[in-house]
Amino acid sequence: MDEIGLNEIEVASLSVVHAAERDFAAALAETAQFKAFEQTYEALSHDTTAQQALSAYRDKVESLNVLLQLNAASENERAELERLRQDYLTRATVQSYAAAQADLTTLCQQAAGMISAAIGLNYAASCGASCCG
Amino acid sequence: MPKTNNFPPELYVATDNLIQNLLASEPFLAYQKSRVQYKSDSQAHGLIERLSALQAELRRQQTNGSVTQADIDELRAVQAQVQANATLIAHASTQQEAVNFLREINQEISQLLGVDFAILAKQSTC
Repeated sequence: MDEIGLNEIEVASLSVVHAAERDFAAALAETAQFKAFEQTYEALSHDTTAQQALSAYRDKVESLNVLLQLNAASENERAELERLRQDYLTRATVQSYAAAQADLTTLCQQAAGMISAAIGLNYAASCGASCCG
Repeated sequence: MPKTNNFPPELYVATDNLIQNLLASEPFLAYQKSRVQYKSDSQAHGLIERLSALQAELRRQQTNGSVTQADIDELRAVQAQVQANATLIAHASTQQEAVNFLREINQEISQLLGVDFAILAKQSTC
């Protein structure tokens, strides 16, 4: 019988790590938080009123871009921008999506926190997700 | 591993399994080994502390406009020692390999989920 080196037993092969990563993704996809996130995203995608409200807000931001950067937009323009923002944010589908995203974010932060604590590297930061970007 | 409150048990098991396999992967075994060496190498620690202190001192002097050529020469000398230190070189290179591997894993997890897991996992601190 061939002798098996200690390294062969202790080192996880790439295929084993990839299987663990697939199991992790599958387990995360099965959580109530992830399913709610997908459902609310789907509902938001089909909410044409919300999409129109978002477009109206973005168009306004674009039209005022230079003035906003120079802090030179009038009070009326700022009020109009805020009204358009609220039109979007107060839609039920938007609020549901935001809540589901917040729940999923909490769960992902917990999972990544467990990984980070064990491996000695900050998972999110290592993978290029800065706190500001 | 400490249990996280309200964490789905199936996800906990899968997370723990991923952690164990990551830790047993070649890039992380090499990284852990270099971390242990780094922690026990007082010379390497001393160099990093000295470099950090010199950089802080130079920043302070820059605001006062009192940086001298000798200060810069001292910083360059310590930087050269850091770059030539075998423990620090091993630590930096194995850490980069581990980070690259982690990015690869995250990319595949994200592809399976249809959303970037690391972006969702980032802590908003600013």
